[in-house]
Amino acid sequence: MEGIVATILIGVSLGAQYALLALGFTLIFGILGVVNFAHGGFYVLGGYLAYASMAFLGTPYLIAVILAALGTAALGYLFERFLLDRLVDDHLSTLMLTLGLYLMMSSSLLAVFGPQSPAFTFPLTGVLRWHGFFIPIENLVVLVVCLVGISSVYALIYRSDFGRALRALADDRAVATAQGLRPKLLFPAAFALATGLAGLTGALVTPILSLAPHVGDPVLATSFLIVILGGLGSIGGATAAAFIVGMVEAFSAVYLGGSKGALVLFVLVLLMLVVKPSGLFGQRVRGA
Amino acid sequence: MLISSQEAAPAGVLAAAASIAAIALAFVVPWSTENPAIYSLVDQILIAVTAAFSVFIMLRMNLMTFAVPTFMAIGAYTSALLGLRHGVTDVLILGACSFLVPMLFALPLGALVLRLSGVYFVLVTFVLTEITQLVLFETPGLTGGSNGLVGMPAVTLFGFELGDNKGVLLVTIGLALAGALITSAVTLGLHQHFAAIEENELLAQSLGLVVWHYKSFGFAVAAGVAGLAGFALANMLLTAHPTSFSPLSSVNYIAYVIIGGKGNMLGPVVGAILLVWAGDMFAFRGEYSQFLFGSLIVVAVLVAREGILGTLQRVLQPLISLDTRRPLHTASTIPTSTATESRP
Repeated sequence: MEGIVATILIGVSLGAQYALLALGFTLIFGILGVVNFAHGGFYVLGGYLAYASMAFLGTPYLIAVILAALGTAALGYLFERFLLDRLVDDHLSTLMLTLGLYLMMSSSLLAVFGPQSPAFTFPLTGVLRWHGFFIPIENLVVLVVCLVGISSVYALIYRSDFGRALRALADDRAVATAQGLRPKLLFPAAFALATGLAGLTGALVTPILSLAPHVGDPVLATSFLIVILGGLGSIGGATAAAFIVGMVEAFSAVYLGGSKGALVLFVLVLLMLVVKPSGLFGQRVRGA
Repeated sequence: MLISSQEAAPAGVLAAAASIAAIALAFVVPWSTENPAIYSLVDQILIAVTAAFSVFIMLRMNLMTFAVPTFMAIGAYTSALLGLRHGVTDVLILGACSFLVPMLFALPLGALVLRLSGVYFVLVTFVLTEITQLVLFETPGLTGGSNGLVGMPAVTLFGFELGDNKGVLLVTIGLALAGALITSAVTLGLHQHFAAIEENELLAQSLGLVVWHYKSFGFAVAAGVAGLAGFALANMLLTAHPTSFSPLSSVNYIAYVIIGGKGNMLGPVVGAILLVWAGDMFAFRGEYSQFLFGSLIVVAVLVAREGILGTLQRVLQPLISLDTRRPLHTASTIPTSTATESRP
């Protein structure tokens, strides 16, 4: 019984991390129609920015996380504004562009920080004991921050003018533009929001998992998986799929071992793409 | 469309002939030098060229595939298993099997994934490469799992053993040549069909083209060519190992085509030669070659849409036509894709 509860907790906290990542990915696809291959790169960059500001500037962890989120958002803004925006309607070109950026980012990190994982640990450690359950405090903190992050994104997208504008652009760009919304201003902001989320997740999660220049690869694959499962561009779908994937990963890691769970998930996603490209919760298919 | 594809065909034939000649030229290497570093570099280039042809074939139908490592793995493990379990060493049989088995895998897979296009096709082929890795690691009984397969007997041709460096290079050249011949036969033979699919699939279908026949055939041939590259890679490394077929290695093969130029067959050849050679120059600091690839992709997408070859052609075109005083026909040698891209 305790084993199952502990596994569920692992699944929920994995799911929350994945949701934060996948929200950024799906926002970019939903609003700009861009598949962001550099998403994993922004996650790693967030981790390294947080590490660098703690190690070299001596800032506390909290400030480091904020700096990481802002730094990745700024880079995302510049990238969209000056490179991506010129080709934003050409799916394959933007895909290649983000791919090129990802290669440049991960190789730059490798050149600057070296292949070894830096000593980057979570400032809070310890285990919370509660009715026979053991919960690592860092996981709890990350879970809470992720949940706050997810709700903030929801509030921003569904309750603010900025979010309404983004949703209008995602829905029908021509009409939204005719109504006076300006993609030239909003697209970079949306991209910055998404990459900032990836950077935030990286800064939060890499001290617990691991930080190395190439930890972005599996993150990219997982983001793909979640976003396809939830339906490309769907915000609710990505959140739900993130928790499903988190649970499946947690249970298969604990009870099956190895990567059988991942294999099952990938095959599921493959079939999903083929049978219902709009995903579990997707409404419409964009550009398929 | 009709005019541009008819006019582009001679340029395509020329480029195909040039790329086949370029690969055949590699036969000079084993007889002119004994330097193992050069052997290794030529091996790598030819394997890269063959794998890039697979991407090139799919791009003819406007599909960007990430699945090259998947089919390379199938080709490599097919040849390794035949050698290890069944003692097959004849390079002709192994080559044929490493071409046909990936094709057989590609037919049912193609029926599934070719229903998708654009971004969805990219994603599904990327997922395929991830599945490939997991399957390789989860089936240690068949594929050796994380140890891979080692200890294959040296391949032979009519009883002659091709086990030393020179022999490996000869096998690689032969496989690359086969890949180039197959690629040129398919892309030139079906030039108009592929061009119609690339331009407007729905229109092609409504005009009576059985689109899925050609797409499945193209996908299967692309898989077979990738399988040849996989066999060559396993033969060179003396092992079939999951790390040789990592999901992100597909990015390299795409980069060769995009940077070299996707207009005709010479593009992948030029791209692979330059990038593998550049990667080799930076071999002591591997990270820089990835940076180079990344920045070249960005430059190619932003300013040189036709890749190195297409850009050279565009720059040289006015000079050439000035010399021959034929300003009216400047558009005739521009490859199809660029000629059609400018249309609304």
